[in-house]
Amino acid sequence: MLKSFITAFALLLALTVTAAFAQEKRWVASDGTTLKKESSISSADISSLPVGTELTLIESGGRWLKVTAPGHKEGWVYAGRVADAPPAAEVTGEAGLFGGTMQQSQIQTAKADSARSIRGLSPEATQYAKQRGTPEVFRKELDKVLARKVTAKELRAFLRDGKIGEYAP
Amino acid sequence: MLRIQITILFILGLFTVGSAQAGFFDEVQKIVNPDTKEGKILSGATQVLSSAKDMDYPTELTIGESLALDSMQRFGKPVAKESLQQYVNLVGNAVAANSKRPSIPYRFVVLDSPVQNAFAVPGGIIFISKALVGIIGNEAELAAVLAHEVGHVAGKHAISTIRRTQFLSGVGTITAASMKGDKGKQYESMIGDMQSVLFDKGLDKGMEFEADSASMETLYRTGYDPRAMITVLKKLQKIEATSTKKGSWFSTHPPLDERIERLESQLAKYPNAASLATVPQRFAKRGK
Repeated sequence: MLKSFITAFALLLALTVTAAFAQEKRWVASDGTTLKKESSISSADISSLPVGTELTLIESGGRWLKVTAPGHKEGWVYAGRVADAPPAAEVTGEAGLFGGTMQQSQIQTAKADSARSIRGLSPEATQYAKQRGTPEVFRKELDKVLARKVTAKELRAFLRDGKIGEYAP
Repeated sequence: MLRIQITILFILGLFTVGSAQAGFFDEVQKIVNPDTKEGKILSGATQVLSSAKDMDYPTELTIGESLALDSMQRFGKPVAKESLQQYVNLVGNAVAANSKRPSIPYRFVVLDSPVQNAFAVPGGIIFISKALVGIIGNEAELAAVLAHEVGHVAGKHAISTIRRTQFLSGVGTITAASMKGDKGKQYESMIGDMQSVLFDKGLDKGMEFEADSASMETLYRTGYDPRAMITVLKKLQKIEATSTKKGSWFSTHPPLDERIERLESQLAKYPNAASLATVPQRFAKRGK
């Protein structure tokens, strides 16, 4: 009886320790990350990986890592795009008691930003400019700054053209 | 003997299960502790801004916009050459995507200013003077300066200098209503304090070293040669004696010697640095 108790306890202990150390995790830390079929930028896309996605490391091949993504998708990501700790979520003003998910916070942040791009300065900053007597020309310049955008497609083309990061030979 | 074995196994078991449950106990501790966000929520004080990290993004951006308006009046308007502004935005966004805070939008602006300077306002609007772009020799060096500034935004450095201001006591967000009357005056005073830190006194030395270190790491993750952060500081060192100090990178940042020394010790982390991109030709064509 005592012997089987000891065996069961040792087994439980071994299982807990194995679970804690067996799977090495990584988190997507860069915007515009893609899971690739092979360890090369020219290989086919499997899926796009939002910032904060948890990955399980299978194999490290230098600049590229073989990983399992949610939904049991297996593929390769560029090592520069992942981190060994999850990124902090944004405070959006609409999070619940313990905060929203990283994906939710990205959506809220994007919403706040696109409102600025369309309407320009926030009503609060406009009020500040009025109180300070800021000349109109500076408000217009800042509106232009806020409206300037770089799309993910433009950024990929720029990195490819400069042979930077995952586009390096 | 058997009893001793059982006791050892039991203690080991407790340790293992204990460490697995540490996260849960940490959460309980947070709720019990009245100084944590969770503790305050539990006690009904939901609107108390306990730290810079609690400020929401729209509020942070509003503060950034106000500072951006003032800084353009102080240092000069954006240069009119749209192709240069686009290029700097592409380089800046390339590094920002690999920073510690990749999920907010960033804007990069070249100001028509003769003073060598770069600075970031909260919310991700980053300025670099035409004079500083003028001493830069390749795209990796431009990326290094921009990544340093992204490091300040990611670390919420400017915001953390004003967390105890009167304006923010009792409110976590700024609204048009809270901008009127006394609150409006307090807001102006808060922005004034931030201007003084960003443009005259400079941020805390530790924050500058953190931004330097973050820049090198971000360059490396993006695929730019991380040594570019050192080469750009060495270029600044050469012209320091003959440059305007007031409102420049010289007056608001720690001594260049100390910064270079720290960065050189970090270089050991990147053994393949020399094989990474510097992109001098594209910079020569589009960065001027």
